[in-house]
Amino acid sequence: MAQSKRHNFIVIDDSRLDSFIAEKVIRNTGACDDLVSFLDATMALEFLTSGSTEHKPQTVILVDIQMPVMNGFQFVEAFEELPESITANYAVFVISSSINEADLDRVHNYACVRQFLNKPLNSNVLGALLQQL
Amino acid sequence: MSKQSKIKVLYIDDEQNNLVGFKATFRFDYTIFIATDVQQAYAHLKANPDISIVLCDQRMPDITGARFFEEMRERYPDPVRMLITGYSDIESVIDAVNKGHIYRYIKKPWTDADIRSAIEEGNKYYTATAMLAQKNQELQVAYEELGKFTYSVTHDLRGPLLSVIGAIDLAKVMESLPEVRELLDMMDDAVKKLDEFIRNTHEYYKLKKGKLIFEEIDFNRLISDATSIFRVAGRMDNIRFTSNVQQNEQFFSDEVSIKIILNNLFSNAFKFQRKGAEDKFVAVEIKVADKCAEITVKDNGIGIEESHIDNIFEMFYRATSEEPGSGFGLFNLKDALTRLRGTINVQSRVNEGTLFIVNIPSGSNGAK
Repeated sequence: MAQSKRHNFIVIDDSRLDSFIAEKVIRNTGACDDLVSFLDATMALEFLTSGSTEHKPQTVILVDIQMPVMNGFQFVEAFEELPESITANYAVFVISSSINEADLDRVHNYACVRQFLNKPLNSNVLGALLQQL
Repeated sequence: MSKQSKIKVLYIDDEQNNLVGFKATFRFDYTIFIATDVQQAYAHLKANPDISIVLCDQRMPDITGARFFEEMRERYPDPVRMLITGYSDIESVIDAVNKGHIYRYIKKPWTDADIRSAIEEGNKYYTATAMLAQKNQELQVAYEELGKFTYSVTHDLRGPLLSVIGAIDLAKVMESLPEVRELLDMMDDAVKKLDEFIRNTHEYYKLKKGKLIFEEIDFNRLISDATSIFRVAGRMDNIRFTSNVQQNEQFFSDEVSIKIILNNLFSNAFKFQRKGAEDKFVAVEIKVADKCAEITVKDNGIGIEESHIDNIFEMFYRATSEEPGSGFGLFNLKDALTRLRGTINVQSRVNEGTLFIVNIPSGSNGAK
């Protein structure tokens, strides 16, 4: 499978290790142009709403669920309130260690969320994800 | 009489003589409240929520006893209701019994023994019912906590494990040794966090199950015990720590609970410092006076945002992503404090610091 298409990524996870793993796995695909990561979802939201941010089409957002201050659900809700001129550039994926049915069900309620991914992120999961874009 | 406080009994009768006679007969054994009408009765019930037995005459000018109990049951369901009645009222009594308004009826004219046995039996029923209600409430709380715990298990226990699995996967294909070392350091943190969570859980259940053992508390010793652990772990590096204990009287409390309280206050004060700030400090003051200990722990760390302050004592609540935490610490602290009938106050400003003020009353030596 030729991965000629290149992508941009935003990783939101309060765990430094999980962010690090995601960054490495993403870079190892060789399909990554630009990658930003945030340990705090409010910072990610600030980044998205900042006027100086250049919104690149086909940007993948990987967001964790359980985070302090602003959790993944709250982030997704705030994201869906953003103007379509912004949101249209992003594909949102929720990634979590949660095996709680309530969490999984809740993810389905958000139109912007493409898929729920189980941690840890690895090259197979990411490869499959990029295929569907 | 046992050492327990006396059973509280309310008697309602429109005939003053009956009331006076009743009170004279039973006042040594029970705490008696009397009322000549419904208004007075409600006033007693409102002022004394621990009245366990209510006796009422069936025939009163404004309302029948059965009807009063029907009403009373809505507002004060807990006290055990007993109707005092002449034989001719038997129809209405049967009705009241069947509707569940009364526990027992006492036939007029009553004997002391009748009343006494009715009160003792009624009180047994009252105590058992109250205990059941309390147990139910405790069960409800335990069940909710279990739910929260089960949910957090997937995050706080499974999360670090999955991180380490991910890291191992990554390390397998890493060529550079420094990069592998960096990864190992992070794995180390993840595993320690997992361990901290497990230890906190253990601490919580130990606290929950354990009986309080009141003994004399030496705050100076507890402070030096607690801080030595943080010092060895390097968590007090570059932090100016001062302590001031004024204890001129004996203080009795449960040492395990006091340790949990101090540990969590210190741990937070050392942890939530502003990175790179100059003159970081943590100051603890303990004053013991008038059978009460006031513990204040002040730091000039990152502070807590106002919108989070109300939630910081909740299980698994974390107000910041700046430092790792289990969200268990202050919950455990609050739980320990509640058991000691203590209180806690928080004052905090973002980027200026936080002040925790804890007040704990001294228990009596050898108390349960």
